[in-house]
Amino acid sequence: MGRRPTTGRGRKAAAAARAAPIYPDRQLTKMPPFKDEHILLIAPGSQMTLAQLGLPETFTPARFRFPTRMFPAQKEGEYEPYRIRERRNEVKISNGNGAPKETPKEDVEMKDAEFAGQDGAANKPEGEGADGAEKPQETTQVIEEVLYEEDVTTEEGAVYPIQDGRIVDWPCFYALLTHIYNALSPPFHTPILMIAQPVWSARDREAITQFIFEKFKVPGFSLIDSALAACYGYGVQTATVIDVGKSKVDVTAVTDFAVNEHGRGIALQGCGGDAMTDRLLELLGPRGFTREMCEQLKRSNITEIVPPGTPLPGAAATARQGSNPATAATTGVDGNDSAPRGPGEGTQTGTETNGEEDEGVLDVAAIVSGNTTEYLANMEKDKSAKKGSAADPRSKLPNNKKEKAAFQFEEFVPMEEESAAGGAKRYTRHNREIEVGVERFLLTSPSQQTGDRLSSGILEDIATQVHHTILAVPDATKRSELWDSLIIVGCGSKVRGFTQALLGVITQKFILSPSATIFTSEIPSTFSTPLPTGGTNTPALMGQGQPGPMYHPAAHGVNPLLVAATHNNPGMMPGTPGMDPNVASQHYRSSGHSQTPTSAKTLRLPEYFPDFKDQGNSNAPGASAGPSGASQGGHGTEEACFLGAQMAAKVFFVLDQGLTKGYMSRVEYNDNGPSAIHEFTL
Amino acid sequence: MNPSNPPQAGEYGGDEVSAIVLDPGYSTTRAGFAGEDAPKSLIPTYYGKYNADGQEKLIYGDDIFVTPRPGLSIHNPIGKDGIVEDWDMAEKVWEYSFTSRLTGAKASNPLHNGLNDISNEELPTDMEVESDEKPLADSPLLMTEAGWNPVKAREKTIEIAMEKWGTPAFYLARNGVLAAFAAGKASALVVDIGASNISITPVHDGMILKRGVQHSPLGGDYISSQIRALFKKNSPQPITITPHYLISSKTAVEAGQPPQAKYKTFPADKAPDATYRALLEERTLSEFKECVVQVWPGPNKLSATGPTGVSNEEMARSSPGRPFEFPDGYNQLFGADRFRVVESLFDAKAAIPDPDSIFPAPTQAQTLPELIKASLGGVDVDIRPHLLNNVVVTGASSLLYGFTDRLNHELMQLFPGPRVRISAPGNTAERRFGSWIGGSILASLGTFHQMWISKKEYDEHGANIVEKRCK
Repeated sequence: MGRRPTTGRGRKAAAAARAAPIYPDRQLTKMPPFKDEHILLIAPGSQMTLAQLGLPETFTPARFRFPTRMFPAQKEGEYEPYRIRERRNEVKISNGNGAPKETPKEDVEMKDAEFAGQDGAANKPEGEGADGAEKPQETTQVIEEVLYEEDVTTEEGAVYPIQDGRIVDWPCFYALLTHIYNALSPPFHTPILMIAQPVWSARDREAITQFIFEKFKVPGFSLIDSALAACYGYGVQTATVIDVGKSKVDVTAVTDFAVNEHGRGIALQGCGGDAMTDRLLELLGPRGFTREMCEQLKRSNITEIVPPGTPLPGAAATARQGSNPATAATTGVDGNDSAPRGPGEGTQTGTETNGEEDEGVLDVAAIVSGNTTEYLANMEKDKSAKKGSAADPRSKLPNNKKEKAAFQFEEFVPMEEESAAGGAKRYTRHNREIEVGVERFLLTSPSQQTGDRLSSGILEDIATQVHHTILAVPDATKRSELWDSLIIVGCGSKVRGFTQALLGVITQKFILSPSATIFTSEIPSTFSTPLPTGGTNTPALMGQGQPGPMYHPAAHGVNPLLVAATHNNPGMMPGTPGMDPNVASQHYRSSGHSQTPTSAKTLRLPEYFPDFKDQGNSNAPGASAGPSGASQGGHGTEEACFLGAQMAAKVFFVLDQGLTKGYMSRVEYNDNGPSAIHEFTL
Repeated sequence: MNPSNPPQAGEYGGDEVSAIVLDPGYSTTRAGFAGEDAPKSLIPTYYGKYNADGQEKLIYGDDIFVTPRPGLSIHNPIGKDGIVEDWDMAEKVWEYSFTSRLTGAKASNPLHNGLNDISNEELPTDMEVESDEKPLADSPLLMTEAGWNPVKAREKTIEIAMEKWGTPAFYLARNGVLAAFAAGKASALVVDIGASNISITPVHDGMILKRGVQHSPLGGDYISSQIRALFKKNSPQPITITPHYLISSKTAVEAGQPPQAKYKTFPADKAPDATYRALLEERTLSEFKECVVQVWPGPNKLSATGPTGVSNEEMARSSPGRPFEFPDGYNQLFGADRFRVVESLFDAKAAIPDPDSIFPAPTQAQTLPELIKASLGGVDVDIRPHLLNNVVVTGASSLLYGFTDRLNHELMQLFPGPRVRISAPGNTAERRFGSWIGGSILASLGTFHQMWISKKEYDEHGANIVEKRCK
C-alpha cells in the first residue's frame, strides 16, 4: 500500500498514549469536542483529490491537491504516488507546488512528514484555481535517495482509481487515501469528512467507511454528498447542483437540504471537461494539435463558450467546418526566448532553480502577500509591452470578437546541458505561443464522431438532464425555485462562458413563454391550497371570481404588467438563502400546480469568502484580452463543494458534536458496523 | 460487514443486515434497503436497446430519458397486465435497480477488486469471504408481486433470486398487502392506481383475500391514451406532442398559435425508434397530468346534473382553465376537457373515443366503482364494513388532482350504509411507493425473520416452496 514510516507516526503514538486514559470506554452520549485544526477533509475526484487538514479562520480553497492517480510500485498490489524512474542519482526535487486541479502534469509532492508539519507554509492560499495563477512554490529539497528519481514528464503507467466518479480500482484508491493521510499526517484525534461522489453506491460508502475506521483508526468519520456540500457552500437549502467534472456531469436537485435521489442525473457520461477537449482535438487534430495542446488550449483564457446564436468573429461559416486555412496553427516564437515569459511557468523541474531568467520568475512573495490578479495582470501588461510590435489595434478587442488568438503552450523539454548531479535527465518547462482561430469557441459544439449518442453538444445534454431531474422532484411547488437556483460547480465549468451558454440553452429549449404561464398561479384566489387528501375546498367553487377573460386567452393581448410580474417573481434576490419568492403565488394556485420553468438563474456565492471569489468561470486570471477577462469573477467558484464541506465539518464535528448525527463515531462504528454509516451521512 | 474486532453475537447480527426490498412495477422499479422510508433507487422498468459498433447495447435507468441514441428502441419486460413476459430482461432490469445505487455493480464490488488480496492484517479479510460473483450474496431480498401473479411466475422469481442473484433469504409479498401495511393497517381495501393497471385488493389480517382481487387496465397509461385522444380532437388544430429531443430551440408564441420551433432532424438510419418517441411523449403527458388534468370531484358524474340544476359540465367549464405549454412552444388553455380525460375511470360512457388507441373502449365493469363493488362481492359479508372503513389509496396515478374526493363520493353513493373512510397519504412519496414502504416495514420487523425462505429451504424443497410459504 505504499506506506512509509513518517515522523508523524511517533507523534501520533504519543498522542495515543496521552489520549488513552482520558476516554476509556466512553459511551455515545457525549463526544469530546474536536478541534478545528484537527479536522481532515478529503474530496476525491476523477482528476484531482482535494485535501485539507484543519479549518482555517476563513474558509479557503483546498490547501492540497493530489492528482487522483497512483503508479504501481515494484511490489505487486502496492502503489506509489510518484512515478519512479530508476537512475543513478542522489538528489530529488520536491516542488511543493499546489497544482491547480486541472493540470495533469503537475504533481503535488510533499515529503510526507516534513511538509505536513509546517502548517505555516501551507497556509498560503495556493493555486488560485486557474492555470496562470499557479504559483510555483519552490520548496526545493535535497533528499538522500539513491537510484530512484521521480519522473514528472509522463504519466505512463498511472492507475486512475476513480473514473467517471466511480471507484474502479479499490486497492489503488485505498493507496491514494493512505498517501494523502500520511502526507498530511494528522494528529491522533482527527475526524475525517469526505465528499462523496453521487455515483457511489451504498456498498461503496460502507467499504470506504470500513477502510477509514480500520486503517486510520479515526475517532469520527462522515460522508457528505457533493451536491449537498455545494448547497452548504452557497448557503441555500434548495438548489439544482450541476457538477461538471472531468468526464461526467452530475445533476442533483436538493430540496430543503435533502438530496432527491429519484431522477438524479448521476455520472452523465461524455459531458465533462474531457468531452470539450475531445471536441477541440477533433477540430484541431488535423492541424497537428496534440491532445495535450488542446487540453491547455481549453484552459487558456482565449477559449470561450459563446452563447447559442452568437455569431463567431471572422469567417465563422467556414471555420465551423474546420477548413479555414487562415487559422492554421502557427508555432510562435522560438522556445528559448519565450519560455520563461508566460504566466506561471517559472517553475523549473530541474535540480537547480537558478537557471532562470529574472523576468520569467514570478515573485512568489509578491503573489502571496499582494493581490494576485493585479500582480499577474501587471506581469501580463509588461509582457505585451515588451512585445511591442504585437500591439496592433486588434488586441484591444475583447476575446470573443477576435478571429485569432494565441495561447502559451507549455511542455517538457529535456535539458541539454549536463547537470551537476550527473546522469540525471532533467527537463525544463518550455513555452511557446500557439495561435488558433475560432475553433476555440466551438468546444461545446456537437461532435462529428458522436459515438453511440445522438448528442447535440454537451450543453444540451446537460440542459436535458437538468430538465429531467427537476421534473422528477416530487414536490412540484419546489420546481420553480429549483430552476432559479442553479449551482454550477466542477472544474469543467471553468471554461469562460460556460454558465451563460448553459443558461442560454436552457432558455432556448425549456423556458415557457409568458402566455403559457400568465394565467396560472399568479392570479390570487381566495381559496387556500387544497390538501392532496381532499380538503373541503372543491375546485368547482373556484374561479367564480374570474370568469370570462381568463377563459379565452387568445382573444386578449397579454398584459405587459402581468408578463413582467410572471417573469420577475422568482428569485428577486438571487442568493438569498431560504427565501422562496414563489411561496405566495404557489399558495394561491387554483389546482394542481403550474408548469416550470418560467425562468432559470444561477445562484451567487456569498461574498464573505474572499478566497473563493475571483476564481469562477474564467480560465485564467491575468487574462490578456482586456475587459471581458476581468469582469468574469462574479459567478461563484467551481469548488464550492469544498467550501461547503468545510462548513459542514465545522457544524458536524465542532459545533454540535454529533448531536445531529452528523458523523459516525468510532464507538458507533464498533457497535453497528460500516452499514450504519447510512444513518449518518448526508 | 464486520469490523475488525468482531462484536459479541448478541450485539448485532441478523437484524442489522439490511434486506433489500424490490418492488417491480410496470412503469418503474423501486429498490432500497429495508428500514428506510423511501426507495433509494427508482428506475424506469423500460429499457433501451440499440446497435452500436455492430453489437447490441442495452441501457437502463434514467439515461433512457436523457440521451437519444441511434436507432434506440424502448421495451418493457413486463406485460400490460403486470405479469412479467420477458424474464431474461426483467432479471437484468431488476438487477440494475439494486446494483446501480445499492450494492454496486459487480465489477466495482470491493471484494473482487483485490481488497482481500492485500496481505495487510489491518484490513479485515473475513468480510464476506463466502461471497461469490453474485450480486445479492449478502442481502436477503423481499420482492413484491401483483395479487394475480400466476404460480409459474412466482416460482420463476424465486429461482432468479436464489440462483442468479444468490440471495441468502427470500420472500415474495403481495403489493396490496404491503400497501396496507404502509398505511398502518392489517385489514384494508387497497385501491392501487398504477401505470398499466388499477387493482382492488381486499386484505384481512395481513392476508390477501384472493377471490376479491380485481384489476382492470384503466391506469395511468390509459389516461395518457385519453389525453392523446383529446389532443387529436382539439380545435382549432390537433395537438401533436413533439418531445424535447426533437427540438433545438423554440420561440414564445401566443396561446393557441402554431408553434415556431427549430426542429432537429436525425438521419433515417440513426433516428431513434418510434417507441423512444412514445416514451418521451409520455414524459410530457405526465407533466400534463400533473399540471392540468383534474378529476371531477363529484358528487355525481361529470355528465350528471348538480344539486343546483346546473349541469356539472357547465360547472367544470366555469372553473378557470389551466394552461400548458408543449415542448415545441405551443400552448393552450385547457378548460372542461381536463376533467374529461379521467372521467372514464368512473364512468365508462364518458370515455373519449379514439379508434387508433391501443386501449379498447372501457366497459363499465372496468371502472373503479364497479371493480370495488365486484371486489367486495367476493369477500365475506361480515368484513365488508371493516374494509370500507379502511380504504387505502396508493399508486402514482392516484395523485391526480381531486381523485380521492371523487372516490370518496363514489363510494358513499355505492355504499350508503357503512361508514366509508379513505386513507390516502398526502405525501407524494408515500403514495407513490406505498407497496415498497410496506415491504420496507415488513422486512425490518424482527418477527419477520421466521418468514424468510432460506437458501437451504429452497435447495431442499425447490421453487414450489414459494407457494407454501408466501401466501
